[in-house]
Amino acid sequence: MNDIRMSCFDLHTEVFNLLDGVNMSVEEGKVTALIGGNGAGKTTLFNIISGFEKDFKGRVSFMGQDITHKSAYRISLMGLGRLFQGRQLMDDLTLMENMKIASEDTVGEHPFDIFRPWKVAKNEAVKEQKAIDVLIKVFGENNKYLGMLDRKASEFSYGEQRLMAMARLLMAKDQLLLLDEPTSGVNPSYINVFQRIIRDMVEKEGLSVLLIEHNMSFVRQVADWCFYLSDGKIVKSGPADMVLDDIEVRRDYLGL
Amino acid sequence: MEYVLHIGIMLSIYVILVLSTNLTVGMANLLTMCQAAFYGVGAYIGTFFLMQYNLPFVVVALAVMLATGLTSLLVSFASVNLKGDYFILGTLGFQMIVYTILYNWIDVTRGPYGISGIPSIQILGIGSLEEIYSYFFLALMLAVLVALIFSQLQRSPYGRILKAIRQDELSAQSLGRNTTRLKTWAFFISAAFAGLAGLLYASYVSYIDPTSFTLNESIFIITALFIGGIGSRVWGPIVGAAVVVILPELLRFVGLPDAVAASLRQVIYGVVLIVLMFLRPQGLLGNAKLK
Repeated sequence: MNDIRMSCFDLHTEVFNLLDGVNMSVEEGKVTALIGGNGAGKTTLFNIISGFEKDFKGRVSFMGQDITHKSAYRISLMGLGRLFQGRQLMDDLTLMENMKIASEDTVGEHPFDIFRPWKVAKNEAVKEQKAIDVLIKVFGENNKYLGMLDRKASEFSYGEQRLMAMARLLMAKDQLLLLDEPTSGVNPSYINVFQRIIRDMVEKEGLSVLLIEHNMSFVRQVADWCFYLSDGKIVKSGPADMVLDDIEVRRDYLGL
Repeated sequence: MEYVLHIGIMLSIYVILVLSTNLTVGMANLLTMCQAAFYGVGAYIGTFFLMQYNLPFVVVALAVMLATGLTSLLVSFASVNLKGDYFILGTLGFQMIVYTILYNWIDVTRGPYGISGIPSIQILGIGSLEEIYSYFFLALMLAVLVALIFSQLQRSPYGRILKAIRQDELSAQSLGRNTTRLKTWAFFISAAFAGLAGLLYASYVSYIDPTSFTLNESIFIITALFIGGIGSRVWGPIVGAAVVVILPELLRFVGLPDAVAASLRQVIYGVVLIVLMFLRPQGLLGNAKLK
């Protein structure tokens, strides 16, 4: 079981007064959604899990290992991938370079590796093939992106970049993906693609997903389980349909 | 002819300095204000080796680069995790400290009196470079070699990950990259090559004092880089170094008094920099802007 247990959150109130005793676990092979209003503490919770926020009290474990206060890169190497809110690919890099920097193989990324060019070239070729495989897996055979590998990321639309930023998480051997508002600011025509990709990641790749999302119809389509976070507390949790139909959630969050 | 060779040697030294600065400023987005400090550390350590031991140049060069690189760790530990303006202030502090030490630790550095009579470089321990043209070829060869190394670094996966860090450090961390370590290496290599430039300089002019390694010099090196252009090409730094080394020489031919020419030079650099910031912020040949 992919197990993120967070208990006894007691953030320094002078810095954060957002999370208060959040205790949740995410199940393996499921899409779990985290919903709640602005300022409810969703992104703070993601920052805590992925190691970007260290100023908290509590405990986070992942795959049975304590990851509390570990560095972000170490947590990532343990198999926890993250898509940031509003961030996309690195503009200055080509699509292929963007895919390669997500690989768990870092051979060549040490300055002295220029003295072993053969090894680096071999690993680069493997990374290239992996990138192509991932793009085929996500966007299908003969997709247009295979002919655009050398294009700068800035030449793609925001929605496309968000899709690729999510797709490149498959370059590493992640177990759990934290997706922070994957569809925000994205053209509605892409929403179905996001939905299919996330379901495929879970059903075909065996990954688990924890998702922050404001688009409720998207959550209903894609999520198995749902947590409703309000004022730093988990107020409701359960199957996605049940939480979204809950009277309190509808009244307080959705304003229905 | 000697005059042209002298310009060629100084140009080669500045090409190495500006290329090394491009790794930190252009590639890793670390706007460092202490490159002259590493240049100075390299010059002084190089002087020590040249005066104490009769070692071949390759050995001295490697020792100086290693020692200067290790010195960079003092700054890295304190500064690499600092962001933006704070990093600049951190490196500024280091620059001040190094200058103060060079100036005041008279027993070791001879302070403001400087060190004279620095022996020339020994090639393979069989002969020393005394003729200016030998120096010119050595300096030129080193500048070309360093340019090739940086060109290779920038095209390598290491250069790629530095570009990624420059663009979005948080995402790079979330993709499993230890960005602190990667930036520390950039700083180490940059310092090591600045140290090599210092060694070349010290042995060429055979006299050093702390005034060659001031904050002004650091700013001068950064200016050259900005004029040529930051980013992932080696031609920007080379052109930048050429502009700042050759321009003052051209002013000599205008026939201005020395005092006026020196001040005018500073004014020209300033004006060139301001004009570039407006018209071409990435520099003459650069492909990246400072973030």
